[in-house]
Amino acid sequence: MKEHKDKHMTEHNDREIREALKQSFPPVNTELRRDLWPDVLRKLDLRPVRVPWYDWALVGLSAVMFLAFPRLVLVFAYHL
Amino acid sequence: MDLLQRFTHGEIDAFETLVRQFQGDINAWTVRIVRDPGVAEDLTVETLWRVYRARQKFRPDGNFGAWARRIATNLAIDHLRRNRPEQSFLAEPAEAARPDPLVQREIHERIQEAFRLLPAKLQVAATLALVEELPYDEIASALGTSVGAVKLRVFRAVRILRKRLNQAGIRPE
Repeated sequence: MKEHKDKHMTEHNDREIREALKQSFPPVNTELRRDLWPDVLRKLDLRPVRVPWYDWALVGLSAVMFLAFPRLVLVFAYHL
Repeated sequence: MDLLQRFTHGEIDAFETLVRQFQGDINAWTVRIVRDPGVAEDLTVETLWRVYRARQKFRPDGNFGAWARRIATNLAIDHLRRNRPEQSFLAEPAEAARPDPLVQREIHERIQEAFRLLPAKLQVAATLALVEELPYDEIASALGTSVGAVKLRVFRAVRILRKRLNQAGIRPE
């Protein structure tokens, strides 16, 4: 009997909480106030530039070549 | 090639069409969770940016709106986690509830504060189910979980809230 009464009280309290929540959080305006595409586009452009791994490999290889054969710098500079 | 296929291939025009088509829905969904239109706009931009970045994971035969909504929900949960208020309301016991509008307003503010102290996942489930009164299957889809799990989260949210409000001497009318 007591268990049944407790359960009834709990359910009643839960209903009160649910009602109180609805009253405490009034409806919000869900209308979008402006077009967000320009912001999205700006954010896409701000993406950090990612250097592909093969570019890094090329830089590393060039550095090794220049260290091993310094005269290659002149050849390289000539062709630039 | 249809719009969603073009989007998964990274065509910016296709993405722009999708943004214009879905930005209102994503924003409305986010506002319902975070309850702040300004914050929701920022989160919507972030959602759309993440949508574009994750385009290769999207199957062109899938539901774009539901997929974007799930990303938006995860972002909103992260936002609520980061902006959880300090635990202050339990410190001062509330005045006894009277029909005075000022006291009632204070009680509503304290209920809001107690609600924002809930774990973010419980808070989102309870907001959508109890405040917005959305169908459980719709909430489950956005949270990427089952209807049973959503019901459990709502149940736990109500229980924790009831306990905290009791501790603070707040009795909702």
